[in-house]
Amino acid sequence: MAAPRHSAMLSISNASTPQSTSSDKTQVQQPQSPAGTSGLRVPSNRKTIYDRHLNRSRNAELSRASFAYLFGEMVSYAQRRVTGIQDLEKRLNEQGYPLGLRLLDLLFYRATSTSSSALSSSSTSSSPPNRPLRILTLLHLIHGPLWRLLFQRSADALEHSVSPDTPNEYMITDNEPLVNTYISVPREMSMLNCAAFVAGIIEGVCDGCGFEAKVSAHNQPTEMWPSRTVFLVRFGDSVMEREKVLERAGVK
Amino acid sequence: MSYYFTILSPTDTPIFNIAFGTSKGGGDGIARFRFPDTAQYMNQFIIHSSLDIVEEAQWTNGGMYLKHVDTYPPAAAYISAFLTPSGARFLLLHQPPQLPSGNASLGSSSLLGASGSTTRTSSSSVAANPTSPQTEEAVRQFMNEIYESYVKSAMSPFYKQGMEIRSPVFRSKVTAAGKKWL
Amino acid sequence: MTSPGDAAPVKPPPSFSPGVARVPSKSRYPDESESVHSIDPELADARSGSSPTPPLSATTAELPIRTSSPHARSVRSSTPQLARSSLGSPFDGRFDGSEDIRSLVIRAFSPTIAIHASDDTDQLTVSGKVVIRDSVGSSRAWEDYGVRFVDLKGFGRAPAGRESGRESTLTQMEEILDQELDTRERLLGASIPSKDALGVPVASPLWKLLLRQILSANPAAPHETFCHPVASVIAISSRNTAPLEALRQLYAESSTGAKRLPDWVHQEYLRYYVLVHDEERDDITESTKLYDQMKRHFGLHCHLLRLRSSQCVVTDDDSVQVPTCEWLSPQEQLSGAGEAETLVDLGTDGIPYLFESDATAIRAFIRELVVQSVIPFMENRVAVWNDQIASRRRGISGRFMSVGRRFMTFGAGARGSGTGAAGGSGNYDPTNNNYSPDTPEAILRKMADFSFMLRDWKLSASTYEMIQSDFKNDKAWGYHAGANEMCAVSMLLNPLAMSTKIKLENIDQMFENACYSYLTRCSDVPHALRSLTLAVELLKSRGGSATESAARWAMRVMDYGLVGPIGQILFTERVSACYASKIPVTGAKWGGRRRKAGMWSILAADQWLKAGKATLASACLEEAERLYGDVLEADGVFPMPEMQGFAENLRRAVKVEYLGARGFDTFDEPASEDPDTEETSERLEKIDKRNHRRSLIGLPAQLDAGTLNMTSGTRDPENPPNDDFERA
Repeated sequence: MAAPRHSAMLSISNASTPQSTSSDKTQVQQPQSPAGTSGLRVPSNRKTIYDRHLNRSRNAELSRASFAYLFGEMVSYAQRRVTGIQDLEKRLNEQGYPLGLRLLDLLFYRATSTSSSALSSSSTSSSPPNRPLRILTLLHLIHGPLWRLLFQRSADALEHSVSPDTPNEYMITDNEPLVNTYISVPREMSMLNCAAFVAGIIEGVCDGCGFEAKVSAHNQPTEMWPSRTVFLVRFGDSVMEREKVLERAGVK
Repeated sequence: MSYYFTILSPTDTPIFNIAFGTSKGGGDGIARFRFPDTAQYMNQFIIHSSLDIVEEAQWTNGGMYLKHVDTYPPAAAYISAFLTPSGARFLLLHQPPQLPSGNASLGSSSLLGASGSTTRTSSSSVAANPTSPQTEEAVRQFMNEIYESYVKSAMSPFYKQGMEIRSPVFRSKVTAAGKKWL
Repeated sequence: MTSPGDAAPVKPPPSFSPGVARVPSKSRYPDESESVHSIDPELADARSGSSPTPPLSATTAELPIRTSSPHARSVRSSTPQLARSSLGSPFDGRFDGSEDIRSLVIRAFSPTIAIHASDDTDQLTVSGKVVIRDSVGSSRAWEDYGVRFVDLKGFGRAPAGRESGRESTLTQMEEILDQELDTRERLLGASIPSKDALGVPVASPLWKLLLRQILSANPAAPHETFCHPVASVIAISSRNTAPLEALRQLYAESSTGAKRLPDWVHQEYLRYYVLVHDEERDDITESTKLYDQMKRHFGLHCHLLRLRSSQCVVTDDDSVQVPTCEWLSPQEQLSGAGEAETLVDLGTDGIPYLFESDATAIRAFIRELVVQSVIPFMENRVAVWNDQIASRRRGISGRFMSVGRRFMTFGAGARGSGTGAAGGSGNYDPTNNNYSPDTPEAILRKMADFSFMLRDWKLSASTYEMIQSDFKNDKAWGYHAGANEMCAVSMLLNPLAMSTKIKLENIDQMFENACYSYLTRCSDVPHALRSLTLAVELLKSRGGSATESAARWAMRVMDYGLVGPIGQILFTERVSACYASKIPVTGAKWGGRRRKAGMWSILAADQWLKAGKATLASACLEEAERLYGDVLEADGVFPMPEMQGFAENLRRAVKVEYLGARGFDTFDEPASEDPDTEETSERLEKIDKRNHRRSLIGLPAQLDAGTLNMTSGTRDPENPPNDDFERA
């Protein structure tokens, strides 16, 4: 069950962000399966995934309708046999998590690859970005580059909990999450926020960078932004401890 | 120069490894380590032990390429490390060929297990000095190329983090990168 | 037992024995039985008489210094045991406080006191043949120490010192000339004693043993003055008929006669006169009279030591075991070990005993010697030299650097300046490779050594640093190496000098220089080994990133092949210990070196196994498992297949060997760890084989295991353990 779901998600990720034409996409996927398994099926054109350029689709656009359709299918798929809203959100989160891990590598690859890969005449900075070591750098990475990769714009706000009891809580706000644009939540499920999927992506990114965290999506509508969503990031104790150590060591 | 390259998952599981020799300066690309063939586990021990250093460097140096992080003096083994943002570790052990002159000075360490692994004399420019800037740069290029292949592997929907990479294409990519840069 | 108060009263016939102290010490090893004998014939002197045979190197009776250490506690009651326990106590695990090692190192460099005991008539003959110059490496009185540096070190130690009386490292005698030649052999010998000790299950005592040997293996050399006498004890016995003349003669001998020290030793050292009184045969009033006379002639540096001349036996009420010397050079250790073995075989303990009263007397004497004479003397010299030479060097010529030095004469000894090698001061004599002791360079070195022994590490470090460049200019490589080494050591010992990163680099550089000069330019392996070993230990005790340097130096030792095969293994273990002592940053997961430590432990286990020491190998394996515990998954499996395979094979091999050893050898039996349960069948097989063999050899009749156990139990001491084992 997991595998097919992941594959679906991946295509979405490609779709929602960098991906291009559907034909291109399918071509990419074909070789992928042989790569992951031992029995190798080389595509007819002899091009495996390793021969394709990762940046090729970076500026390509994707049909929003197809994305909406796929995401809708994912939600309904996740909804099967769930026991409640929380369970559903958890599933969505789990779908997003591996995506976050992958996006992380892709994000950095695209930022670094400018020098070595001649194909993309990108204008990103020439020096490779650093892995985030501190919480703030990580959150800025999510708030900025990751959001742009996914939604082609930055998130709308980044806040730190003011309560002294919860110094480990941070909030990323999206006034109009793309994933929720075409989702209409029934009244009896008003607590549900399908951006739990995005929360899962964020969690994957945090975890991949070595920041153990729990991320959840919450509805915080305002008059102007009825679908405004807040992603609550709660870092684990080990992260906070390390943060102190790094603070003392002056690591940025 | 002989190389042992390993990719470790964030939980230290080996995802991929390969041993090869330099192809520069007439090298035949075959690894000749200083350990006897029966002691190849030493490469893994050395790499494993360098994780102590990698873990430390990981949080003080934000770069992906951490350069030369560790040395195992008894076998003149140098470890270079590259960290992917998602926590996979690329570790390259490189070992200059043992000079026939046997500069094991006053006595060869028993750890070396006096292997008869004297190979050709210093062959390539890269091999000359494992910590020189040229070597660092060559290793960096090598790592970057592998990183690209790795990302491609990781993007596959059928790949999950921590799985072994068994694709022969990936392996040949690594070999090619080794040939090209090392 | 001897509080300063007691010791002080010199007048009343105190008890002490200059020689005595040594006596015990010496005797304890080289000639266990002898020492005892020697005592009776001619008391202390006799002792020295007997001692001449062994080249006398260091014998020391060592009292533990540290209160906190287990030994210290027992100290009071019986010195000997202390000494022994520190020698190979099973309980200092390898993780014992670095403090321990540190104090060991410190004590290794204590002042040397030559003993020139010639006296008794008998003795004269004996001493005539051999120069008896025992140096008692001093004991530095801690309370004295406490007083001088109260703020630094006075805590806890001063009182401790007071309580336990003298924690003195007594010891070290050094036959200066003879031994210089022996160095090589001794070095070779070094690994042998450790082998002898292999029965010990825990490895760490072995390391300490090795360390001690390394530290004491060096003969006196021109380039450092630790082994040069700071003082000389001249002793006569109450039986001497012409005491004063005898003393004079001895003095003359020591300063001009046959027993004169080699030229490169500074001739100016403290003379201390001792009268040994035989309580059992001579009249105390006579002796007291004589003693008063001595005081009139020789001033304050006199002592009356009262001893009993009859041989002390274990059964005597107040017998005290003679402590074992901690600082025997490998050579002595070897001869001692041989004797010990024979004695053990006989089932008697060959350890000599002393009368409690004598021991007390000796301790009091040494204490007085050190506190009242030696230390003040050294302090005085340091002050004078610092004033006269060092400050000039620092003040004027220091600024002009070597250029200034060349044209400036300092001190009386600047002979033939200008003739030396370019840039040199000309004081260096390249043919003999030394400086004459009255040249400023030599005096500065001596001053640095003195201040080092007085534990003024700041002064010693700065002095070493100052002179090392001079030595370099003069191409006096031995001196250069020594100064570099000691400078680094002083800096590391100085508790105030914090180990900033830069300093660490400097220190590494100094050790590097020292090691290079010793090895490449002087071919002086023992000193190189010593300096590297000091580097390892002191850096390790510093903690933090210094431990990595320590590990590197230990690897360097192995790489250079400075030690024998057993030494290699011990150093391998030490590398593991160095890494293990690096603890992670608090709050973070990184910073430790567990994997490295574990790896080195595994390697050590492998080597022990190859050396046929399964017991030690299994200890190392356990250690490795402990170290790896944190980094491996719960099941303790290595992520990498070949590693795992190797580790499994090793474990299995060790187990097999270990069981085999247990089967055949009772000595190994005590080990508490049971081999694991798993491979029961394998184990049984082993045992079976063993039984078969046994039965073939000696007990052909028994076939059944049960009967075998029963009968063999009575007959063969080796079997009972087997039974237990099997049942377990």
